Amino acid sequence: MHSPTTMFRQIFLLIQWDLTKILRRVIFVVMRATWFAVQVSMFGLALAYMVSTRSLGLDTQTYYKFYLFGIYTSILFSITASRAYDIAEEFEEGIIEYHLSLPMNRKVLAIGRAIGGGIASTLFTLPMFLTVVVLAQEFSIAAIIISIVASLAFSIGIAGLVISITLSIKSGDATDILMGALDAILVRLSTVFYPAVVIKSIAPYYYSAIINPVSHLADLLRIFYSFEEFKAIAIANPIALASYIIGLAIGFSFLAIYVVEKKLEGGGWR
Amino acid sequence: MINISKVFLIARRDLYRFWQSKQWLAGQIAMNLADILIFAMIFRGIVRKDLIPDYLRFMTPGAVALATFVAAFSIGREVGMEIRRDAVEYLLVLPMSRQDLVLGRVFGGMLRGLIYQLVFLVLASIIDSPPTLTQLPVLTITSILLTMSMSSLAIAVSSVSRDFNIQATFRALTHYLLFFFSNVFYTKQVLSLRFPHPLPEIISITPISIAADIYRWCFNYYTYIDLQSLALLTMWSIALTFLASIIYLRNLTKR
Repeated sequence: MHSPTTMFRQIFLLIQWDLTKILRRVIFVVMRATWFAVQVSMFGLALAYMVSTRSLGLDTQTYYKFYLFGIYTSILFSITASRAYDIAEEFEEGIIEYHLSLPMNRKVLAIGRAIGGGIASTLFTLPMFLTVVVLAQEFSIAAIIISIVASLAFSIGIAGLVISITLSIKSGDATDILMGALDAILVRLSTVFYPAVVIKSIAPYYYSAIINPVSHLADLLRIFYSFEEFKAIAIANPIALASYIIGLAIGFSFLAIYVVEKKLEGGGWR
Repeated sequence: MINISKVFLIARRDLYRFWQSKQWLAGQIAMNLADILIFAMIFRGIVRKDLIPDYLRFMTPGAVALATFVAAFSIGREVGMEIRRDAVEYLLVLPMSRQDLVLGRVFGGMLRGLIYQLVFLVLASIIDSPPTLTQLPVLTITSILLTMSMSSLAIAVSSVSRDFNIQATFRALTHYLLFFFSNVFYTKQVLSLRFPHPLPEIISITPISIAADIYRWCFNYYTYIDLQSLALLTMWSIALTFLASIIYLRNLTKR
């Protein structure tokens, strides 16, 4: 049985591992930043112009603000989900077996990778988040701090989910397919581009948006900045949204522990 | 001298492998359908009617162009995997010229794109309206030109790095740049009202934009098409196929 100090040190080392991996990816960083720039400039501005904001209960400027926090959430989700590619690659290269052979509790390994993945993705998207805050012309230090904490919790949850999926399906190809489809469908079936009220008439879309983690973080971030304006069109009240995000982080971290402890022994990677 | 039978042999092998990736196909179809059945359908209710009267009908032919691109990119995934797993050496010692090999891969990707696109052509015929006999040859030529250039582009992009994550990111970035800098989601009128000159003009002459507009005419959303755009698409396809084939060959042989 390891002491808490040893466990924290091990978690710290795993976080360091994830951070080092993401920092080494200069091309990856440049490409994602370009992707983000195109989304907030080209796509976002065109969309804000095309949308009839009266039907949403917002004005054009407010819709763009709505879109900005949505798009940040979708980028954070995509980048965290892309940890799946790292994990698939680690499996192909035998690094996962190496990790399993380390004198480290499996629980610590799972939690460390989930937190490491979450911190790395949140830090990576921090400049994008600050750009969104500047573009939305919203400058509240308290809101910025709580937003980062909420984003981190969301990202830890999603990292836990992708760890569980990748290590369960044990196939680089299947991971590639599943992550692409999950990204496309979850982002569209969320409140990233439109408030839930717009899709109320299409029941499967509406209920999917309500249970979708992407909707919860997007709406929570919006509320932090323009509380009254966005509160009316959010999928739930702020307390419920925050509870969902915390539950997501805890739930999927435990799922990652379960998968690492029960499904990973003996290899089996195709 | 190009040996056609060897080009077909390589293309047939790639086509056979296409059928084996059923899960991948299902995933891609889900992604493209999500654009039409979720994004376009919801936006139909909130897009200003004075700018785009029916967003679903407008976007569906654009999604047909995007579908072509995504399917042709499936060849890119396999090229990337071959590079990661060092299967390149095997390909290079096959008893055929390197030009045959490269052309075979491009042709294989093109066939995959055409097959994959069928689902979306049917969907566009339902959501918009089916093409007439006059429109059918234009539709076929457009699809061939577009799938050929996208297949070449995908092969070149996926062979740039050995890193899985970078390969996937490159692929995604090319995908996003091509579809954001196109008129799949917005009309040239919207772009002209929102962005400074000459950006809207540049966007309207990218291959995906040209193809999307031709498809819009083929599915009777537009009543008129300038045939010059078909000539421009042909030029784009020849240039992209040529350039990407050179890059792929270089990436195959670089050490």
